[in-house]
Amino acid sequence: MNQALAGTVAIAGVGTTRYGRLPEYDAYDLGAWALKEALDDCGLGFDDIDGLIINRIPDYQRFGEITGLNPRYTTITPGQGRFSGICIQTAVAVIAAGMAETVALVYGNNGRSAGDHYGGASDAYGSGGAGMWFPYGMTSPGAFHALMMRRHMERYGTTTDQLGAIACAFRHHASLNPDAVMRTPFTLAEYRAARFICEPLRLLDYCLINDGGVAMILTSSDRARDLRQPPAYIRGFAQAAQLAGSTFPPDDYWHGTMQRVAADVYAMAGAGPADMDALMIYDNFTPTVLFSLEGFGYCPVGESGPFVADGRLALGGALPTNTSGGHLSESYMQGWALNVEAVRQVRGACGARQVSDAGLVQYMTAAPVITSIIYGRDAR
Amino acid sequence: MSDYAKPLPPDDPPNRPFWQGAKRGELMLQRCRDCGTHRFPATRLCAQCRGDNSEWVASSGAGVVESFCTFHRAYWPAFKAEVPYDVIQVRLDEGVRMFSNVVGMAQGQVRIGMRVWATFEPATPEVTLVKFVPAT
Repeated sequence: MNQALAGTVAIAGVGTTRYGRLPEYDAYDLGAWALKEALDDCGLGFDDIDGLIINRIPDYQRFGEITGLNPRYTTITPGQGRFSGICIQTAVAVIAAGMAETVALVYGNNGRSAGDHYGGASDAYGSGGAGMWFPYGMTSPGAFHALMMRRHMERYGTTTDQLGAIACAFRHHASLNPDAVMRTPFTLAEYRAARFICEPLRLLDYCLINDGGVAMILTSSDRARDLRQPPAYIRGFAQAAQLAGSTFPPDDYWHGTMQRVAADVYAMAGAGPADMDALMIYDNFTPTVLFSLEGFGYCPVGESGPFVADGRLALGGALPTNTSGGHLSESYMQGWALNVEAVRQVRGACGARQVSDAGLVQYMTAAPVITSIIYGRDAR
Repeated sequence: MSDYAKPLPPDDPPNRPFWQGAKRGELMLQRCRDCGTHRFPATRLCAQCRGDNSEWVASSGAGVVESFCTFHRAYWPAFKAEVPYDVIQVRLDEGVRMFSNVVGMAQGQVRIGMRVWATFEPATPEVTLVKFVPAT
């Protein structure tokens, strides 16, 4: 990665809708709502947008028509969570290349009201070949992660109580977040009593399915400094994919690929795990939190279970993680709301769930495309 | 007409040799004629060497359980009577991976590392599924 880009682009504005069940809004409406919030946040208007990156909303042309946009740069990406990090990185590259000055990233998700299930006949997880395995009852990203978790348990002695520690910590965070969908804290005993969906994973190991929208406004750091909010600087970003054989769970929980991304993102930021004040980990299911902590060098391979068991990820712990409640408890915005939370943390705008003196926050996704972004309160 | 209610595999022409083999009691795999790598489901290119010369060959049917999970939720009504049921992730000795089920042992008894053999279970007059039995 080009280290000269570190700190040169910033998040100027973020916007989020209400989260939950919003049947009167489609994905376009949710994206437009979030975009208005993001523009209000930074004090820009629709006419200032000259780059547009759409995620999950079905059609970019329709979205631009609804919102009256004529950008210089436009693209659209599939509604998979790994694309939030990819889109943000693309926006940085577009700005650095001079293809646009102010890029709006817009995400809308009406999955709850549309009845999305992420399993069964509509299952499109992975590379689209899922139907081959339906006759055996194999379906859903949850099962894919259950298979990985079972192997981790077998190899390293990881336990479901350790997953429960993650779920409890994130729900505690959500209890401090007025925007979160699920705010009632639960104990480890209550976690253990939750029903299995695909064993070893229980209901409380799964992300939510809810409606909502998120938008971000990115621009050069120089420009961002003149706007309404303190900039959240992009200090580092990196990406690598592991697509070969990806219908099946990776033997190493994507560890090798995450290590490459980790080396790149830490080199670009000039910072490492010991420097991070908070983490935002893509938590589609609790096991990905374990895999990410190992892959990004927070603990040795196989040791993530004990690492999370003692409250380390909770606010007040050594490594506050998913302070919003994450996908498990705040809102399933497929990485977008976690990136917004990173921005709000470095702004110091998180209220009861604020991490004290949050200078650097790392976002990471463990999936067939691995991304990481390091946000800074300071440009360098 | 069959009253079989569970999902059936897509009738995808490139994979027909696999399903024809299953009806005969053979686990057929595609093999690259350029580098010898086995693969399934069928693809035009070999992901290993990118060659496009391939043939179908019979597998030994032997493999190892890499992992398993247990469904407590039925994503299709036809699976409702079966929950909880186990799905296994198998690596055949030829290197190809499959998702399937274990038959011939009680639910909950499957273990990672267990050696298994392919077995063939007719679903409908047209389709026979490839499942696995413990090797010992």
